[in-house]
Amino acid sequence: MSALLEVDDLRVTFGGTAAVRGISLTVEKGETHCLVGESGCGKSVTSLAVMGLLAKGGKREAARLSFAGDDIRYYDEKQMSRLRGDRMAMIFQEPMTSLNPAYTVGSQMTEVLRRHRGTPRAQAVDRAVELLTRVGITAPGLRLGQFPHQLSGGLRQRVMIAMALMCDPELLIADEPTTALDVTVQAQILRLLAELQKDLGLGILLITHDLGIVARVADRVSVMYAGEVVESAPTAELFRAPRHPYTRGLLSCVPVPGKVKRDEPLGSIPGVVPRIPPGFIGCAFRDRCSFAEAACAGPLPRRNVGPAHEMLCILPEGAGA
Amino acid sequence: MSTPAIEVRGLRREFRASQGLFAPPRRVVAVDDVSFSVPAGSVLGVVGESGCGKTTLARMILGLLEPSGGEVLVDGKRLEGMDRRARARLIQPVFQDPFSSLNPRRRVRDIIAMPLVAQGNVTTSEIDRRVAESLERVGLSTEQGTRFPSQLSGGQRQRVAIARALVLRPRIVVCDEPTSALDVSVQAQILNLLAELRRDLGLTYLFISHNLAVVEHVASEVAVMYLGRIVEKRESEALFRDPRHPYTRALLDSVLTPEPGLGVPDVGLGDIMPDPANIPSGCRFHPRCPACFAPCAATTPRITSLEDGLVECHLAG
Ligand SMILES: Nc1ncnc2c1ncn2[C@@H]1O[C@H](COP(=O)(O)OP(=O)(O)OP(=O)(O)O)[C@@H](O)[C@H]1O
Ligand SMILES: Nc1ncnc2c1ncn2[C@@H]1O[C@H](COP(=O)(O)OP(=O)(O)OP(=O)(O)O)[C@@H](O)[C@H]1O
Ligand code: SF4
Ligand code: SF4
Ligand SMILES: [Mg+2]
Ligand SMILES: [Mg+2]
Repeated sequence: MSALLEVDDLRVTFGGTAAVRGISLTVEKGETHCLVGESGCGKSVTSLAVMGLLAKGGKREAARLSFAGDDIRYYDEKQMSRLRGDRMAMIFQEPMTSLNPAYTVGSQMTEVLRRHRGTPRAQAVDRAVELLTRVGITAPGLRLGQFPHQLSGGLRQRVMIAMALMCDPELLIADEPTTALDVTVQAQILRLLAELQKDLGLGILLITHDLGIVARVADRVSVMYAGEVVESAPTAELFRAPRHPYTRGLLSCVPVPGKVKRDEPLGSIPGVVPRIPPGFIGCAFRDRCSFAEAACAGPLPRRNVGPAHEMLCILPEGAGA
Repeated sequence: MSTPAIEVRGLRREFRASQGLFAPPRRVVAVDDVSFSVPAGSVLGVVGESGCGKTTLARMILGLLEPSGGEVLVDGKRLEGMDRRARARLIQPVFQDPFSSLNPRRRVRDIIAMPLVAQGNVTTSEIDRRVAESLERVGLSTEQGTRFPSQLSGGQRQRVAIARALVLRPRIVVCDEPTSALDVSVQAQILNLLAELRRDLGLTYLFISHNLAVVEHVASEVAVMYLGRIVEKRESEALFRDPRHPYTRALLDSVLTPEPGLGVPDVGLGDIMPDPANIPSGCRFHPRCPACFAPCAATTPRITSLEDGLVECHLAG
């Protein structure tokens, strides 16, 4: 059985910038795979590349890119747009990129169903109301008549989530879906996604920088750094035994409620993600890594360091722990 | 007593949303009779549910939105009628959505320079120097300063917004979800930076965030908003140690700590969100409150003063 989504050696460049450098990952039916990593490491570009929505100037290459067994690398725009919003849906990091300011929430939501399924208007409206209610929006009828700019950030985000679910997708790619939301709504939406997953076998690729969310909802976690996956493991394993120095750094700078002191600096990883030119070799984290040595500038091994646990680093197993 | 950096009295804002041709417009009270003051050099954290009025409150304090009632004093001066340039030197925003708050057709360095240029009396070389300084402070390279916002990641764009807010060296910064688009290590850098700036420059922050761990880390006092009202306002340490309002408790219980296997908690607030156009009678939280008792549906709770703050709940009275 092939996975719902299979990405093998995905590469994306923008002119002189290599944004994604050989990423491989899979999402199984009913699985939540979380992608975490520092700002600018290529999480959004990865998801946009999968959806065939790269900005102008972006070039995509992959050894394999398959959805439900079909290789979608050579799909033309027409075939892709038939998939998008239907069997494969996306929640964007910036709600305003997928909400059109000129149309009401209702016409945008029903349009999705009409386009993909030819659903009559009245039925599409019922479906929209049902989903808006499920994401916790009161007075859904009223919201249908409003324009995106009349909604608060959190309401917009919930509308986006409801819109992505209109056609009962098999795969949902969610890019920071709950960052604009307060914690009680966040918990509600994460529970809703888990429910859909159980009912419909929805596969989710979830991009988030919130390690609290990762710990609570992911089956598997891939940690990205500068366009590569540097460590990937089942969730419990990753939190129990993080191996890569970057993963360990990330875990150490999460402010944990009840454990943070005011005015005491938080742990942080010094420096910023470097800009990687095409053809770069070696570990991209080496300028920031306290374990760096000469070998880190050469080609790196991708190794298994535990059950379904792999990392990209020269450190011997168990070192620096 | 020194002048508070921010003081709001009986602040109120209504919106009318049209519901189509024949229905009457819907009246939303986004901020409902809110009063508080923020001492200079301190940080007031504001938390609360999506749509409870945090951004509306912030926009009124910034002078970007006219109140329907009440008044705002910044550094002791009434906002109404203040010169825009003077206001910009005093108080600056960092908004929630770095995508829509940055002009996509301008380069990063020009975006950061905008508030300086608008002052009208700053030399080009001074502008270049201050822009370079701001870029460096937020961890952006000179090369990134020549890019357009669309060529930066979400986190990098938020740094641009912070650099722009700092370029005039304001006294007060209103941060609306300033780190929600950032990953934890950059968030830590930015929070450490904001703390450092506050100490060095004596800045005052109004700090809106849904991340309670972040608010606990930065705020000296925390205001919890619910449907347009501040239902609890306490010294930060006291609020996190001993929350008094049932809504505050639900908020704290919803925090997802990085502990695998615990799943996502159901804190018992139910699935139906409140409707700001249809505010419940009595205590506005009563339909969802796990502690709701006899007087709550009929009688509006009064504000109870505590040693370290205030709370609006019948249980506290
Ligand atoms: N249209 C573009 N043109 C040029 N470079 C781009 C473009 N879009 C993204 N990039 C670059 O690609 C890299 C990856 O960006 P991406 O948006 O995927 O980051 P991210 O991991 O989603 O970060 P964040 O957590 O901040 O959202 C960044 O260095 C960014 O500057
Ligand atoms: N321009 C507007 N027209 C009509 N209603 C508005 C407008 N701006 C805000 N509102 C309403 O006022 C209420 C408060 O919105 P506000 O943006 O202040 O919430 P918030 O607490 O910042 O939410 P979030 O956490 O989602 O950002 C909401 O019900 C919103 O729909
Ligand atoms: S490869 Fe070297 S520089 Fe990179 S994380 Fe491992 S030890 Fe550090
Ligand atoms: S007044 Fe009553 S309903 Fe309101 S928060 Fe207190 S206990 Fe709950
Ligand atoms: Mg992104
Ligand atoms: Mg807001």
